[in-house]
This record gives sequence, structure tokens and C-alpha cells, in this order.
Amino acid sequence: MAVKYVLKLYVTGVTPCSQAALKNIKKILSETYKGAYSLKVIDVLKNPKLAEDDKILATPTLIKILPPPVARIIGDLLDKEKVLLGLDLVAVRVGALEKNK
Amino acid sequence: MKSTTKKSAVEKMLTGIRGLDEALMGGVPKGRSTLITGGTGTGKTVILNEFLYQGITQFKENGVYVAFEESKREIIKNVKGFGWNYASLIAQKKLAFVDAGTLRELTFESGRNYDLSPLIERVKYAMNKVKAKRLAIDGLDNLFSRFQNKDAVRQALYQITDELKNSGVTVFMTAEKVGSDKGRSRYGVEEFVADGVIEIELIKGQQQFLRRMFAVKFRGTGFRSGIVEFEITDQGLLVYPKIPVENVVAKTDFQVRKGFGIKGLDDTLDGGIPQGHMVLLSGNTGTGKTMLGMQFLKQGIVEGENAVFVALEEPVEQVKKTALSHGWDFNRYEKERKVNFVTTNLIDISNDKLLYQIISAAEGINAKRVLVDSISTLLSATMSEEQVRQFLLQLSRHFKAKGITCIMNCLSSASFGAGRGQLLSGLVTNEMRLSSVTDGIIMLLFVERGQKVKKLLSVLKLRGSNHSKEIFSFEIEKDGIKMGEKYEE
Repeated sequence: MAVKYVLKLYVTGVTPCSQAALKNIKKILSETYKGAYSLKVIDVLKNPKLAEDDKILATPTLIKILPPPVARIIGDLLDKEKVLLGLDLVAVRVGALEKNK
Repeated sequence: MKSTTKKSAVEKMLTGIRGLDEALMGGVPKGRSTLITGGTGTGKTVILNEFLYQGITQFKENGVYVAFEESKREIIKNVKGFGWNYASLIAQKKLAFVDAGTLRELTFESGRNYDLSPLIERVKYAMNKVKAKRLAIDGLDNLFSRFQNKDAVRQALYQITDELKNSGVTVFMTAEKVGSDKGRSRYGVEEFVADGVIEIELIKGQQQFLRRMFAVKFRGTGFRSGIVEFEITDQGLLVYPKIPVENVVAKTDFQVRKGFGIKGLDDTLDGGIPQGHMVLLSGNTGTGKTMLGMQFLKQGIVEGENAVFVALEEPVEQVKKTALSHGWDFNRYEKERKVNFVTTNLIDISNDKLLYQIISAAEGINAKRVLVDSISTLLSATMSEEQVRQFLLQLSRHFKAKGITCIMNCLSSASFGAGRGQLLSGLVTNEMRLSSVTDGIIMLLFVERGQKVKKLLSVLKLRGSNHSKEIFSFEIEKDGIKMGEKYEE
């Protein structure tokens, strides 16, 4: 099965906040989305050029590259509803249900 | 331990922006930050761009542009209008961007738990890439409107300020001004992180918009107070600084006389106009003021003294044609950089701009003679009498300091065909009110005598000179003014 979700998580160094964001997104994905996904963690301190290219201003920032549209979620990703909204995951779940019928 | 030497407070740095450095008395504080604040469309971004561009091209000081407002692509496109090739500067690693314009992508915030450390890292990365000495941040307020956590934004700004303080980088930043509070921008923090604040505004003139700027504060350094005007030209910014009233000793020299090369007239003036004098050449329309003034300039050029012709009455081309009909080729003089012409828009005329134009025209060719044709035009334009007096005073002080001799033409209402004994009846007008700022008055007038109109000339006043008190007749001939006999009724 092809990778459905392509995500990037930008962090700046190892901070409690970036650790929390990583933990939270993994948790949300495992709870609400059973499919395959790719999550790449990028450290701004090590890759400032990538941060420039992706126009990152704040960390943590989660970018959903696929499926379109591209969306960004800034913060520690503790607010699950916001994250689901940003990832468009509700729609995916509905679609998945319809498929199962 | 006693110290006798006073440590100079803050080192200044030239911005390279025409006129701004003079207005700020030698530039902006080096290694510090200056905030440019003003409403939409006032020209904030142009100042930022010019600050970077002049730094790179004039002083080999590389720069970083942090763009919160427009995208990098838009900015590169916009400055092409000034003939600035940013793409090439970027390729040469002289200029770098932190491209941080508003994104079209959907953006959500999940919690307030985030910070703007990537911004700081990107700024550092860009500055390191080009070894930047100048940093421009466009649209600080834009950053605030994009994040709900204003504290994170504030903290980032303080952090950047701290980082920069020790780096020796000089910063220009902009923020939109709202409301009418002087120098206050929206989030209050911008002024706090800036050491200096320049406010700019766009005001409605009679026919065009005028741009003005004034320094609100500059920590630990002097600046010339007052409002200065500026324009955005096709070559960038042009600031017209207030010309300071010169306090240096006047280079007036009564021994050195500047002649007209007109036999009889120079004798009347005891040899000519003393060097550094400002003389009012007053007369009714058609008496030959422009002609006499022109002849004064021509004589200087012939003697090797460059000249400035401030042509406010007629178009320069017409002035040149008139001169040529008398055999004086001002076109050639201009090409040989012996004469500079100055013109200005008479509607919405500005003291500072005109002064700046005249003084830079004179400095450009080291001119020693200046003709202003005429002062009356200024009065009939939008300048008040007080402004004209101020203008004359500033110009006169400056010229005296430089040893420049100046003739100011002035339209006099002295009546045509004055009766016997009434030749000077109309004089209690402009020239008397302007008398205190001028060193001399030469009066030209018409009289109607024996079915003929005669042209007369008299030197009413010439400080420090034993000039002739007589009235002389004169004629305008093909090759200039010819003095005639003493006039006696």
C-alpha cells in the first residue's frame, strides 16, 4: 500500500516542547489513522537552509505535505482536535468508513 | 583618577542615502537599530532597500533582508524600477534574504507552546552566509498579526536584538504606524527594541503628495531636529536635509570684488560686488534684471569662476536662448561644467529642497557666483514672506561661509514713469523688508521722459563699500548692458 501521509516535523534542538510534539503526533496518528505514513523530523539548528526553504518561523511546526492541501500546525500538538483538523483526518476517516461499506 | 577626555557616545555610520546622513548629522548609530515607522505607502520599504543597496554598493557592507511583508520575489521585482539588480547581488553572496512573507497555506495553532527560534536561526544563517554588516527587517508588525502567542513574538524580537547588539550589525526595521500617537507603532515593542525612531508621513500638498520624515529619538546621539522632506525618485530616495545655519566665520572680503565686466557699472560699485555678498537686484518687469544677472555669471565664467543659475522665472531652454542671442553660450558652459542650472516645481515649493538643490549645484562645480531669478517667484508661489526671509538667511550664511557671491533678482513695484523727485517712491516694498538679510541693493527702473522710456540704475546700498550714489541711465544692447550718462533731471 502506498504511503498516504507525508509529514515533516520541524524542531529546534531537543527541547521538552519538541519532544512533546513528536510524542503527541505519533499518538494521534496511531489512534486515529491506521494507514502508512512517513514522518520526517528536521532540526532547524542542523538544517537552517531547509527551514529557510520551507519558510519556517516557529517550532514545533508540523507540515502535512500529502495528501493535499499542504497545511501547517504550529505548537506542541496537544490540542488533538486542531491537529485532526489540520491533517484533514476527519475527512479521511469518513472516506475510509464509506469504503468499508 | 581624573579623566579629561570625554568618550564619544555613539559611533555613527553613513547610510549612503542621499541627504539622510546630513539630516542625521553623520548617519545612524553604528551597530544599533533604527525603526522606520509610518502609514501605508509612505515609503518605509524603499528606505530599507536603499539602506541595504547603498551599503553593498558604496561601502562593501553586505546585507540581509528579512521580509515579513512582501515575498522575496516581489521585492526583487520592485527594486528593478530603481535599476538595482538584487538577483546579481544574491548570486555574488552580497545579499541574502530571509523570506518570511505571509504564506498562502492553511496554518493552524495547536496550543501556545511554541517559540520563534527558527526565525532567529534563519537570520543568523543568512547573516553568516554573506558576512552581513547591515540587516533590514520589513514589517515587524506583520509578524505579530500572524501568531496568537504575542509573547513568543516579543521574546523573539528581544532575543534577536540581544544577538545583534554584540555582532556590530546595524539594523533598519519598519513597522506600520497606526493612530496619531507620535512614533508609536502598533505593538509598542518596536520602539523598545529600537535605539532610534524615524517617523515618515505622506501629506497632501496643493497638487501632489509630499513625503516628510523626522527623527523621533536617537539614543545617545545627536540629530538635527525638525521635519525634512524627501522624495522617491527613479534612482531611489532623495532626502532634503535642513541646511544648518553656518556659524563659521564669513569669508566676506571687501578687497575682492566680483565685477560685471560692464564699463561704468563696476566703477559705480567701487570695483564690483564684494566677495560673499548677497545683493538684491530689484526692478520692474522688463528692466533687464535677468540680463544683468546673466552678465554677472558670464563675466565670472570668463574669469574662471563657475556659476549656478537658479531659473525660477523662465524655462532653462528659454534662458539659454536669450543668453545665446547676446553671444553667451550657456549650453556650452553647462557641457563644460562651468554652469549648473537649478529649477524647481513652483507649486508645493519647499524651502529645504530648493536650498539643498542650490547648495549641491554650487558644491558640484565649486561655483563662486550664483544668480537666483527670482525671489519674487518664490513669494508669488506658495512660500510665505517669512519662509523667503528664512530661505535668504540660510542661503546667505552658507554662501558667506563658502565665499560665494550671489545676486537675487526681485520684481519691484517701483512705478513706471515716476514723476519728478519720485523715482524711488515705490521702494517701501519687498526690497526694504528683505533689506536686513541682503548686503546690497541695486535698483533698476524705467522713467518716461521726453516721449521716451529711459532705463535707470542706482546702487541703493552696498555694505562696506564706497559706492556711487548717483543714478545712471543704461541700455540693453546686442552684447549686453551698456552704461550711459549720469541721469539728471
